[in-house]
Amino acid sequence: MLLNLRASAICEDYAMLRTLLVSLLLLGASIAGAAEPQTLVVYNWAEYLPKKVLQQFTRETGIKVQYSTYDSNEAMYTKVKTVKGEGYDLLVPSTYYVDRMRREGLLQPLDKSRLSNFGNLNPRLLNQPYDPDNQYSIPYLWGTTGIAYNEAKVASGKLTGWADLWDPAYKNKLLLLNDMREVFSMGLKVTGYSINTTDENQIRAAYEKLAEIMPNVRVFDAESPKTKFLSQEVMAGMLWNGEAYQASRENPKIRYVYPREGAMQWMDSLVISAGAKNLDGAYRFIDFVLRPEIAKQICEEVGYSSPNLAAIKLLPEKVRNNPTVYPSDADLKNVEFQTDVGAALPVYDQYWQRLKAGR
Amino acid sequence: MRPREPFKWMAVGTIWFWLVAFALLPNLLVFVASFLQRGSDEFVAFAFTLGNYQRLLDPLYLGLLLDSFWLAAITTILCLLLGYPFAYLLTRMTPRWRPLLLLLVIIPFWTSSLVRTYAMVIVLKANGLLNQILLGLGLIDEPLELLYTEPAVILGMLYALLPFMILPLYATLEKLDHRLIEAARDLGAGQFTIFRRIIVPLTLPGIIAGSILTFLPGLGMFYVADLLGGAKALLVGNLIRDQFLSARDWPFGAAVSVMLTVLMGVLLAAYYLSSRRASRGVMP
Repeated sequence: MLLNLRASAICEDYAMLRTLLVSLLLLGASIAGAAEPQTLVVYNWAEYLPKKVLQQFTRETGIKVQYSTYDSNEAMYTKVKTVKGEGYDLLVPSTYYVDRMRREGLLQPLDKSRLSNFGNLNPRLLNQPYDPDNQYSIPYLWGTTGIAYNEAKVASGKLTGWADLWDPAYKNKLLLLNDMREVFSMGLKVTGYSINTTDENQIRAAYEKLAEIMPNVRVFDAESPKTKFLSQEVMAGMLWNGEAYQASRENPKIRYVYPREGAMQWMDSLVISAGAKNLDGAYRFIDFVLRPEIAKQICEEVGYSSPNLAAIKLLPEKVRNNPTVYPSDADLKNVEFQTDVGAALPVYDQYWQRLKAGR
Repeated sequence: MRPREPFKWMAVGTIWFWLVAFALLPNLLVFVASFLQRGSDEFVAFAFTLGNYQRLLDPLYLGLLLDSFWLAAITTILCLLLGYPFAYLLTRMTPRWRPLLLLLVIIPFWTSSLVRTYAMVIVLKANGLLNQILLGLGLIDEPLELLYTEPAVILGMLYALLPFMILPLYATLEKLDHRLIEAARDLGAGQFTIFRRIIVPLTLPGIIAGSILTFLPGLGMFYVADLLGGAKALLVGNLIRDQFLSARDWPFGAAVSVMLTVLMGVLLAAYYLSSRRASRGVMP
């Protein structure tokens, strides 16, 4: 008898639980259903898109942008891959990650007839091996990694190449980007190898060279390296050209140079995630960003180079002729594009750990 | 009896669901992943290996582990040296002040420790608050290099973890029977002897609990070393994060975290045993 009572009580509980769960699910579905059409999830590099641009997009289209940022391709890739792209609409990977992600089916092929402003892009930056015919990616910005220094502390002309940073005069005064590939690229440039090498001997040689610069390093940072130059925590170091441009607007004594061994070049592209929910919004956003006035605004604010020829025409002379933002052909001598190093990645990682651990 | 049954089911069910879904399963996944191999296109390849644990024996990783232990240990010792007198004074305050002072110890918990670490950056940086005050007072001519140094890291850890030391110490010190101290004094014991032979043994559970509560989180707080130390050193926490985020070697990252979990388990077991012994020792 008692047992029976208990059983029926459990049954009732189940029924109650079920109603509760079902109603919760319905509630969740209705919220998701209502919110879906007007939000767009954009996952972009930190300090890479002015807020004003996002606000204007929302004003024009009524689409709310849910915006979050990352500071390395690897971090973005890991997150997107774990959820198979679900929950993200637009991403901005660098070239070699466009390649990787398109091969792994994490991206959607683009219908370029929906992008009325596609023709504004510089044809020289299109149809590259990492994405033939730009089936998956639309160039967003490109830039370089070079040397920045504070003219108040370092005489101009003293730093012309990566190797100059090894000078003991900079003891405990340098910033290196907290990015394994960037730091190793510098080491490989100085030892005379390609920044995309997969040969362990060359990677080891770069590591041994880099171990010698460690006493000069005050801080590793890739989140907001320019602030360390502005607060005069460091007097020189590696920096991205856009960060250097932004810093020089606050303090004109911060200068950017293209090292004689060659800078590192990269390009980031807008792509649509395979799991994108708001396709229409994603296309509208890409087309919006390709609009000359908008692309110009982005370039002016963040200081990286635009692939958008129509936008460059609109730029004020002093930005267009600023070598930090638009390098000359001579500046770009010896530059190399970073590519995927595939199976050599753990080798780099191991030497990166040795470098940081100091053994 | 009946009206309470559904509640009981819900409560127990929720707890079980929570523990299984958010504690048991994730840890099980990590444990299993630590015996698999690194995949090239997928995060893990389903092939059994002990190689990840073998790799941990590399002097590189042992050294890294020692560095992490060292930092956590220094922090714990400093927390104890600062926290003990602090907690003692707290118990000697009049009951009117005590709640207020305790509140002041707890208030920092209302802000995330990451945010508080960023606040430390603002205080310590070259053109930061501290340097500006010192320059303004004319005590220094050039800004001091405070940020991105070892003391900055230790200061940040100390700041984040001190309350974890103070609270358990306060709890045991408050219960301290002062008649025992008076008895010892009557029997001719000096200040130091009273402290060493009466107060310390009686508050040992608090000392151990506080040390565990500062040491274990101290092992994992790599962001303090990153933000205040300039990311120049590598700690166990960085290693695990990097394996998952940048090196894409999830199995090895899993093996490192399994090892860390086991080490923490050993420490907790040691705590359990020693606290049982300590409480037995006090019994008459």
